[in-house]
Amino acid sequence: MKQDAVRLVVEAMKEAGIGTVVTLPESKFKELYPVLHTDPDFRYIMVTNEAEGAGIAAGCWAAGKKAVLLMENAGLRVAMEPLARLGQTHGIPVLMVMCYTGEIGERNWWGISHGQTMEPLLQAMHIPYIVVRKKDELKDAFRRASTHISVSLYHVALILTGEVTA
Amino acid sequence: MKRYEALKILAPRVREEDLAVVALGGTIDEWYSLHPGPNSLYLKIMGAITPVAFGLADSLPHRRVFSLDTDGSLLLNMGILCTIGNEQPKNLVTLVIDNECYEVIGGPPTHTSRNVDLAAMARGAGIRGAVAVRTPEELERELAAALGREEPGFIVLKLERGTAVFPEEARKRTDGHEDKYRFVRHIEDTEKITIIPREVKSVRKVEGPANWG
Repeated sequence: MKQDAVRLVVEAMKEAGIGTVVTLPESKFKELYPVLHTDPDFRYIMVTNEAEGAGIAAGCWAAGKKAVLLMENAGLRVAMEPLARLGQTHGIPVLMVMCYTGEIGERNWWGISHGQTMEPLLQAMHIPYIVVRKKDELKDAFRRASTHISVSLYHVALILTGEVTA
Repeated sequence: MKRYEALKILAPRVREEDLAVVALGGTIDEWYSLHPGPNSLYLKIMGAITPVAFGLADSLPHRRVFSLDTDGSLLLNMGILCTIGNEQPKNLVTLVIDNECYEVIGGPPTHTSRNVDLAAMARGAGIRGAVAVRTPEELERELAAALGREEPGFIVLKLERGTAVFPEEARKRTDGHEDKYRFVRHIEDTEKITIIPREVKSVRKVEGPANWG
């Protein structure tokens, strides 16, 4: 990510009221993680896997704190079981932010399946999502997603790609 | 010691201002009979009990949070031990109800029935005070010690099998959504915050001229 995109994501998160970042880092957001980690406006919680992270982010929501689960899109597969139960069995939402590894144009063969499964899994779970390709769409996407999880009591995913992660 | 006996020791320690996340299985009706208040969140999610409790504890550092987890549930996602070990939430007390089996589905043994020592694994993950107890006296003592320390509490309750039976009308009758609402409304009221926003006011002003003719 370029520095202006990092800055815009940080600003978008702050303007959406997000105070906690639950994350398992990957490569496409690698410039973003240290900025979030050192910014005193964020509580930065490293987890061991995305299923654990989904539970922690859900607990934050139930406490009235706005949190995001920041991860690679392959993490969606790991988090799927607790997400199904949190969202569908209880109506406890998680706001997810993920990269779009495996999108058309991917240069790593191992990343292709991440892209093949991400949108079908979100659709199978009826999780609304926004694919954010333009930097000037970031703030609106974060603001709407942050509101939507607490109104719908269901998960929302933001997939950051295009010029955001270029 | 059976689970109900252990929960009877724990229940008076969970104060009105405290919060509890309660695992699925036989624990639900037993805990509900002892502690029916709105400060317990019942979750039908194996592997997510202690993570959710951690999220609550991290977000509400002024309140004590109890995780009533189980051996089967914790074994499903042990990474949370490492996150607790690193983050050291001093207001989180995890109690692992370890009957060494999946009792509710007929009792096939879990890994803790053989070589697995959850308290030792927790200590290895950085939860220094993690212990296992087998008797009511040990539980009383370790619970008091955990509540007196400025670090995460972690007690594995090594229990005999056995589930208390309640008349149907005494059992919890709410589902997962109702349980969530009850708990979240309790947080909203006690923290004086809004988590689930009210609908937009129904009387709306028309901006600009409106021509009905």
